Amino acid sequence: METILKGFGEVVKTVTFRVRRYDPEKDKSPSYKEYKVPVQKGMTVLDGILYIKENLDHSLSARYSCRMGICGSCGMIINGRERLACQTQILELNKDLIKVDPMGNYALIKDLVPDLEKLFKNHRAVKPYIIREEEKADAEYLQKPEQREKFAMFTECILCGLCVSACPTNGADELYLGPQALAQAFRYIADNRDLGFNERLNVLDSKHGVWRCHFSGSCSDVCPKGVDPALAIQYLKGLLTANVFVKHQQEGAAKGEPRKSVLETL
Amino acid sequence: MRESKLMFLQYLTGLLILIFGTFHFLLLSYLAPTTNKVLYLYLGNTHQLIGGTLYYSTVKEIYTTLLWGAMFEAFLTVLVYHAFNGFRVILSEQFQGPRAEKIITYTMLVIALIIFIYGSRTIVVLLTGGG
Amino acid sequence: MTIENKKGWISWFNPFKYGLDRWMYALHRLTGIVLGIYLILHIFETANILRGPVTWNSIMVSLDWPFGVHIGPIILSLVFLAAVYHGLNGLRLTIVENGLLLPRPYRPEYPYKAKSIRGLNLVLKIILGIVMVVIGVIGVLYIFTGVLI
Repeated sequence: METILKGFGEVVKTVTFRVRRYDPEKDKSPSYKEYKVPVQKGMTVLDGILYIKENLDHSLSARYSCRMGICGSCGMIINGRERLACQTQILELNKDLIKVDPMGNYALIKDLVPDLEKLFKNHRAVKPYIIREEEKADAEYLQKPEQREKFAMFTECILCGLCVSACPTNGADELYLGPQALAQAFRYIADNRDLGFNERLNVLDSKHGVWRCHFSGSCSDVCPKGVDPALAIQYLKGLLTANVFVKHQQEGAAKGEPRKSVLETL
Repeated sequence: MRESKLMFLQYLTGLLILIFGTFHFLLLSYLAPTTNKVLYLYLGNTHQLIGGTLYYSTVKEIYTTLLWGAMFEAFLTVLVYHAFNGFRVILSEQFQGPRAEKIITYTMLVIALIIFIYGSRTIVVLLTGGG
Repeated sequence: MTIENKKGWISWFNPFKYGLDRWMYALHRLTGIVLGIYLILHIFETANILRGPVTWNSIMVSLDWPFGVHIGPIILSLVFLAAVYHGLNGLRLTIVENGLLLPRPYRPEYPYKAKSIRGLNLVLKIILGIVMVVIGVIGVLYIFTGVLI
């Protein structure tokens, strides 16, 4: 038992956290503050920030929730690169100085808390839902497993926003949709149950749509769930280029047996 | 024009520039009508030019053939489109808004036309025997 | 009261801490701008052929020996290498940015490394590197010595 637990609970070394602080009620502009954090084996950067919050400075604000890399709340820039704080081991960074900044390209509310409204606004702009003509769905729309595999990887997005922070076009262009929204647009267009390609075309084919991506690959590089938005965007570009010559037809889904809803049988 | 059409032309002109550009380099080196294919042939150790593929008579001989003249005109067209559309993309990423879009598009269009007309003047005058 | 936190216009030229593709994108933009400016200057330079042999030859010599230093070949070589990189990378982007030679959609597995920037795309980048070195060496040798291989 002792050999397995050896090292846990022991302080291996002390690192310095340099955290960007900004209090909207007091400060004019952000500044950096340093804290000394004792590190045990297995501590993540989020553990370090909570240590600071509990013991050194109660006023530090950060967003976090599940602490296991699935809710997408704790996105930050750690030592120059976008990562999830709960998925980054302090000892794996191999440095004695850990620089923690909030994600770039979003407005900043306080300390490490960004305002993700831009991410959600762009996501809504591509209409991220199945679009059909009929108003009431009274039967299943059938989908084979091969049809699902065409877009299944892009459904794993947890909306953490790291891709938008890493994208170089998002750094300069305020109106760019961003890799998250564009990958979700492809997720719906490639879904055989969807019939809304033409409705989304104007916002995708615009001056700040798909064509402002230049495949720098930073979005796929930092994505914590491996969603690979760059892949979706290049597929989308292929679709739009082909659409210049031959109008793109979506697959469409066969309908199953019409069913009554359970409520109607009661 | 729709952005996807503009970008399709950007890729197409890029490929054509690769082809024409290779010809441009080959004309000045492998395919030049001189025996010594060096770029500058100086008289001994002086700075006086007496030959080479950039010498006046060599250049004039290459560019007054109708085939190469037409190729240069096509080369100029695709180059001007590709370069100024590229500048427009870079600039419109830095400045957003409908007014900025208009200013950038028209400025790039005007400069592109000026460069195109000035370059065509050289080619056409050379082809018709002047210079 | 939120404040701005943009990474700014220079972020396209901040390729540190990201992968190889980010470096290639930054270099593609830089060579594009350099070549665009070179195009404008070149059009004005070549128009001088209409001013007769004496003017043309003296301009050619002064471009080969600017300020009396023989750096003409160096400038030409830099422009040549920029054109070769921009052209070959542009060819790779034309192929990849239309969905060709990219991996099929897959299910992400831990450690979640993206496949679109590896795989066949990586093979294309290696081919780009080799072809660029070969053409670059031939071209630069020719510009400096006039010897054709």
